[in-house]
This record gives sequence, C-alpha cells and structure tokens, in this order.
Amino acid sequence: MSLLSIQDISCGYFEGIDILHDVSMDVGEGSFTGIIGPNGAGKSTLLKTIFGFLTYRDGEILFIDEKIRDLSPFQIKKLGISYIPQGINNFPHMTVRENLLLGAWTFKGDKDRMRRGLERVYDIFPVISSKRNHKAEFLSGGEAKILSIAKEMISSPRLLLVDEPSAGLAPKIVSYVYEFLRRSHEGGTTILLVDQNINQAIENSEYLYMLEMGSVSLEGSSQMFKEKLKEIIRDSLIGA
Amino acid sequence: MDSLLLSQYLIAGLVIGIIYALMAIGITFIYSIMKMINWSMGEFYMMGSYLQYFLVVYILGPHLWFVGIPISMAVIFFVGLYIQRFLLKPMFVGEMERKDEYATVITIAMMVFFRNLAVVLAGPNQFAPPDYASPTYIGPLPVSGNRFVALVGTLLILGLFYLVVRNTWVGRALRGSAQNRVGIQTAGVNVLRVDQIAFGIGVSLAAAAGALLAPIFLVWPENGAVATMKGFEIIVIGGLGSIPGSLVAGLLLGLVESMGSVLISPSFKDVYGFGLVLFLLAIRPTGLFGERQRVA
Repeated sequence: MSLLSIQDISCGYFEGIDILHDVSMDVGEGSFTGIIGPNGAGKSTLLKTIFGFLTYRDGEILFIDEKIRDLSPFQIKKLGISYIPQGINNFPHMTVRENLLLGAWTFKGDKDRMRRGLERVYDIFPVISSKRNHKAEFLSGGEAKILSIAKEMISSPRLLLVDEPSAGLAPKIVSYVYEFLRRSHEGGTTILLVDQNINQAIENSEYLYMLEMGSVSLEGSSQMFKEKLKEIIRDSLIGA
Repeated sequence: MDSLLLSQYLIAGLVIGIIYALMAIGITFIYSIMKMINWSMGEFYMMGSYLQYFLVVYILGPHLWFVGIPISMAVIFFVGLYIQRFLLKPMFVGEMERKDEYATVITIAMMVFFRNLAVVLAGPNQFAPPDYASPTYIGPLPVSGNRFVALVGTLLILGLFYLVVRNTWVGRALRGSAQNRVGIQTAGVNVLRVDQIAFGIGVSLAAAAGALLAPIFLVWPENGAVATMKGFEIIVIGGLGSIPGSLVAGLLLGLVESMGSVLISPSFKDVYGFGLVLFLLAIRPTGLFGERQRVA
C-alpha cells in the first residue's frame, strides 16, 4: 500500500521558474525510500513541497489517499509526517527539554502521550538525556543535530522526511544517525531520505529515485543501484 | 545639592524609565517574532489611553480605574489580532517582494490613519482622566500617586508577561518562533497564528502604557508620538530584539532624563536621551544587549 503518492508535481519558488518538472514517486507503507542526485537537482525542494513549505503548481500529492495541496506545515505535521531539515534545527536559547516539548506541540493536551514520548526519545538518545536541562546553544554540533532529530521524532510520525542527515557532521555522529534511521525503520516508521552520500543512501534504502535537473532520471531497487553504482557516479561527475 | 531632592528625581527617573521600557518591550517583542518594526506603536498607546479615559469617565467611574486598564489591554489585544490578520499577515504568504518594506508602509499608514481617526471621533482636544491616587510616600520621599500607580501597574504587567512567556505553551511557541522560524513549523506550530498573538500582546503592552500614563501625560490624538520616540531610543540603547536590553535601557533613559533635568536644566529633557543614544551608537552600535548580525 502506498503511504505517500506523488503524482506529476511541478513547482518552484517563483512563478514561471519551476524547479521540479512532473515528478512522480511512490513511498510504500513501512518502506525506506532514498532520493539521490547532484546539487541543485531539486531533492530538498521536493521535501519542502511535501511538508507544505512550498505549494505545488501542478500535479497532486496524496498522503493515505488524502490530498495535501494547500495544507500548511502545521496541518501536515498533524497528519503524521515529520520533516528533519538539513543542518541544525532547534531552539538555541531553550533547554533540551523545552525543545522536545515544542516537538510535542501537536498533542500538547495529552499529558500521558507526552510523557511517554519524552521517555522514549531520552531512551533512544542517551546523549541528550543527560543534558536535558542544558540550553541547546551549549550542545556540541553532533548533539545539536541529534536534538533536532529527536524533536521531530517525539510525535512518533508515520512518515519521516530526512534531508541530508550527514551534512557537516563528524563521521562518528554520521554513523550514529544512520543507525538511528535504520532502527526507526525497523520499528515501523516509513522513511523518505534525501542524501548526497550515495553509498549510505543505497546501503540503507530499499528503493531509490535519482533526481536530475528536477526530473526523475532513474528509479529502481537498491540492488539495481548497487550494480550500476559506478556508472551513476561517473555520469553525475561528468554531468551527462 | 539637596540629597532629598536628588533621590526624589532618582525615583521619578526610575518610575518613568520602567514605563518607557514597557513601550520598548512591546516594539522589540513584535520585532523578535515577526521581524518587522511596528511604527504605529504610539497609536496603540494612544488608543489605550482613549479607551481608559472613556471607561473611567463614562462607564466605570473614577474609583474603578484599575478595572479599566485590563479591559483596555484586552480590547487593544483583539484590535491588534485583527489588524495583524487583515493588514500584516499578507506579508508572510504568497509572493511579497520585500516584506520589511511592506510592513513599514502599512504601519506608517496606520499611524496617520489612527491619529486622524482620533481627531474625527473625539476632536483635537486634550482630556485628563481623574487622578488614580493621591500623592503618597516611598519611605521619606513624596511621589505623585499617579506615578506610583503607573510603576506598580507596569511591574505587575511585566511580571505577568514574564510568566506567560516563560511557562505557558503559548509562551514557548512565541520564544520558539523568535529563535527559529523553520524549527517552529517542523514542530507543528501554526506560525502565522503565533505572529498574530505576538502582535496582539505587543500592542496591548503599548495600550497598558497609554492607560497607566493617561492622568500624567493626558489623552490627545498625538500623545503616542513621544512614547514611540522614547521606545525607539530605548531599543537603540538596549539592542533590537533584546527584552532585558529594553528593560535596562528604559531605566537608564529615565534616569538620564531625570538627572539631566535636575543637574543641568529641565528644558532640555529630551536632549539628554538623544545624547545617550549618540554616545552609545559611538561606542557600541549594536546596543547594550544586541548581538552583532552577520550580513551575507
């Protein structure tokens, strides 16, 4: 069953200049789907469009058969989608705990669920658990990234959109983040991962799409991508 | 110099300073969340003072002035919500070319509009509401009752403001929006709603200042102009976007004006404040608590 279905969408930041052209994708319930492609291909734009930061001009996006055109990010979050943008995305002058509480905004009336969410997140990320009363600005880069992820995970999303989780992080944190993504996937979260780190994307995903110049240029199982890896890298380097 | 007289001016300076700070906090609060400057802040001060005058003189009676202040604040809060919704919200949706310019044009237009609306509705006259309280003493020092009330009222309102921003869900969302606009949206908060509430709270602080100061600075269509000017002076001194900065700078400005008046001459009261602004711009252009911004 398809959880997220993207049908021929076209969109961009300004009228008349489209970044994505007729992009179609299918993200199955419980799957781990990867999107790869060179800089400027529209990978991040696609995630922003799904999460409602951008409205699409043409086409349709369905989440569990519901159209999400014209929905704002806060409404999309309520449907059960979380978005982890590139880089660090927390509230620097608030404590770790307050950051996580804001992540639980959509169910702030439900004390029980909030308590369970906090416990679960502290359990998964012991690094931030021990610093729950520290302000986020005093965390290290890796910890701040983990807090940015934890803040979006506290709502137990059905679909997780992840944009370049490895950008600018130390290798040790990077492998920790991928390990976490794998475990969430095993726990039943559907993941749509955008990554420039082709090896990691192919390693973790079950199915992949390659975006080039705003269109899907290749799609297939990770097995197929593994076999074609050399060609893909060569092509993306010479820009053919 | 008589030390009693000096300490009297000292207290007067602190009292007026903290009320100035109320204005400045309103401006800086709206700025930190919506990243726009509300040039019509003084007109919300003016509306607050008119409302308070109307309530005290025609509805509540002079003894219930303290009921009028929260009512004025609440009314202006809702006026702010609707103004934000219909006039300012468009700057955050659709394709607005330069939203800061849009906000500047709209808020300056509002300034002109509300001043003239006041003239049309109530005439160009000055009104004086009855005194809130008779003169009293802080220790051995006599103070005007109105000023004392304004001081206590401001402290109560600032305390309440602090508690709301610190401890409530709305407060958390407000702080979050000020710190990271993308992050607050990925958390699932309706950021446009937060903007609306921030604008409402900001202008209701101005209305509170107007209502509290009505018996001292009186009620007339342009009484907000001075308050706005002081508000911006404080923001330059304290640093744009810093609430503690506004508080400290407000007290400082009040003190400088008051000390200048007693030590040099009261005719140049406004000049001392500007002197302080120039001095600070020379030694610390970001303001006392302001952070240097990187411009790409």
